[in-house]
Amino acid sequence: MSGATQRLAVMAAVLVAIATGFHLLTGSFLTAENLSNLVQQTAVVGIVASGMALVIVARQIDLAVGSLLGAVGVLMAWLQYTHGWGVPAALAAGLAFALVIGLCQGALSAVVGLPSFVVTLGGLVSLRGVAFLIADGKTQPISDPGLLALGGGMDGTLGEGWSWVAGLVLVAVCVGWQAAQRQAQRHAGLAPRSLAREALQASLTALGVLGAVAVFNAYRIEGQEQGQGLPLPLLVWGAVVLALSFVARHTRFGRYVYAIGGNPDAARLAGIPVRRVLIQLNLLLAALVALAAVVAMARLNAGTNSMGTGMELTVIAAAVIGGVSLAGGSGSVAGTVLGALIIQSIDSGLLLTDVGIGWRMVVLGQVLVAAVVFDRVVQR
Amino acid sequence: MGMQGTWTAGALLCLSLKALAAVPVVGVSWSNFQEERWKTDETAMKAELGRLGAGYVSADAGGSPEKQLADIESLLAKGAKVLVILAMDKDAIAPALAKARARKVPVLAYDRLIESPEVFYLTFDNREVGRLQAAAVLAVRPKGRYVMIKGSAADPNSDFLRAGQQDALAEAVRRGDVQIVAEEYTDGWKPEVAQKNLEQILTRTKGQVDAVVAANDGTAGGAIAALAGRGLKGVPVSGQDADHAALNRIALGTQTVSVWKDSRLLAREAATAAVQLANGQKVQGAAPWAGGERKVSLPAKFLAPVAITQANLDQVITAGWVSKAVVCKGVDPAKAPAACK
Repeated sequence: MSGATQRLAVMAAVLVAIATGFHLLTGSFLTAENLSNLVQQTAVVGIVASGMALVIVARQIDLAVGSLLGAVGVLMAWLQYTHGWGVPAALAAGLAFALVIGLCQGALSAVVGLPSFVVTLGGLVSLRGVAFLIADGKTQPISDPGLLALGGGMDGTLGEGWSWVAGLVLVAVCVGWQAAQRQAQRHAGLAPRSLAREALQASLTALGVLGAVAVFNAYRIEGQEQGQGLPLPLLVWGAVVLALSFVARHTRFGRYVYAIGGNPDAARLAGIPVRRVLIQLNLLLAALVALAAVVAMARLNAGTNSMGTGMELTVIAAAVIGGVSLAGGSGSVAGTVLGALIIQSIDSGLLLTDVGIGWRMVVLGQVLVAAVVFDRVVQR
Repeated sequence: MGMQGTWTAGALLCLSLKALAAVPVVGVSWSNFQEERWKTDETAMKAELGRLGAGYVSADAGGSPEKQLADIESLLAKGAKVLVILAMDKDAIAPALAKARARKVPVLAYDRLIESPEVFYLTFDNREVGRLQAAAVLAVRPKGRYVMIKGSAADPNSDFLRAGQQDALAEAVRRGDVQIVAEEYTDGWKPEVAQKNLEQILTRTKGQVDAVVAANDGTAGGAIAALAGRGLKGVPVSGQDADHAALNRIALGTQTVSVWKDSRLLAREAATAAVQLANGQKVQGAAPWAGGERKVSLPAKFLAPVAITQANLDQVITAGWVSKAVVCKGVDPAKAPAACK
């Protein structure tokens, strides 16, 4: 097993341990209902964290994601509610706003050379103010059923049949990818792995995906004829993770990001367009924040100026727990999924145990530290 | 000009002197205009003082307790005969109180308590807000399993509200009609936190929740989203602040009540009370109160908040708080409350 895979396995084990522990304590953690809640509560942070992973890999940071999410969310809701815009136009305007902010912040750090910490710290404060100013601090409800479905909940799931279809498609894509990789390795003159190992990996993938579908299908709300199936926020999050994993590992842009993070000077000398890549990275994260804002707004049925407050720290913590090195150069998109799930599991699990808010914060902080310490010890 | 003219002039002079005594200059020290709502208060207070014929001088401390001390000195220097203070820091304000006392200038603590015996305290009754919230929910659901979504643990008002809610529910809880199955503070009063908290409570209680008493309209919005996500319909939910979005939810029938504290009413009452204090008169409706942290007894007046439900939704519209179009947005005419017809 490579170091990165081993790290993911350890984090997955930590997640399983936390989940089992909470289930023993409460008896309701590993139920279909709670798992469905959990992924919906995590999706917004997870979407942003997958982009944040690449930003940190490139030795940058973005502290403004939470405030940007608030500003974009309020803007999109305000255009619909107060100004009567259609959903596509409002979402496009939100995306455009996010990209402009991303471009400005990217240019300030990549071209002017200011540390991204400082640039985005300014964004953290200012954009929260913008979130307040757009609608004068007033809550902006949204009502379009199609948009609300993106936030999950009772009407925001695929239903049983389509969930199986989605699961089977995903398994087919994964296995097909595996076969293509094998073909490519043979072309390159490398000895491919034994067929038995390939079959093992394929069947594990199928088991995991279809097992998850079965769990989400098992959650049935009273009065509904069939199970809920995959929540749409999970689908959005999953698509983002798959796409970004592909970009990180199999595109030139992805390799540039890791090269810059590994050694920025060497990357520049090797002819990598560092500035351009960093600006593209900022734009990518801004677009993801806009997407996350859509999900967050749909989930809450409204845009509020407090949306995303403090989210930047949860996002960064998810990336770090998921194995992204703050020194840059290493880490994976897939790891952020585990990191985000670990954080939300602890928070949601403690809520199930009815622990007061004070203790919840104390435990949450310390378990985060413990997770990383555990990881370090295992790595040695 | 004869004798008569001199008399008339004398009488006029007396009248205007008397008028001068009755129209004092009111000095108002604001804590921080960056917060949206104080602008509303100022506009209403200025208008009411104008109507009473009193003068208005003011200063904004911009969030700094030190600047507020200097502000109050300058208000006194400008000839303020009574001070209305929205204290940034209720303890750091003490030196300013000493200066006012030395000049025999009365002080009115506006909305935020300043715990000193000579101060007059004017605010909305937060405990009453809690009582109204729980009472309105209880009226709709006299029996059942209740969840209390509280405000931020860092805000003392959260506990005043919770105490008021308990006042209203105590009898039903004693009889066993109402069971409080869960209660949770909401970090920073954030709607998304309230939503996540209620989702977990619903999992814990297997969806067996009949009513939600939420501390304000923001947390109510989060709670309503959580209930909708689990397909629970018709669960009464309370709120506070008469947020435009919440009034719309009341018209739509997804929220039961929003307790309204009209800050313009508070400002008008403050203007009247300030003029009365400056003239050495007694303020109507004032009574000694010692419910603060240090149990200091001081004269106080509490304004009654109003519970807005579908039945009296027209009140906020006729008071000019919000337009009918905003309240009734998207309401089905067939099921619309009276205010939207």
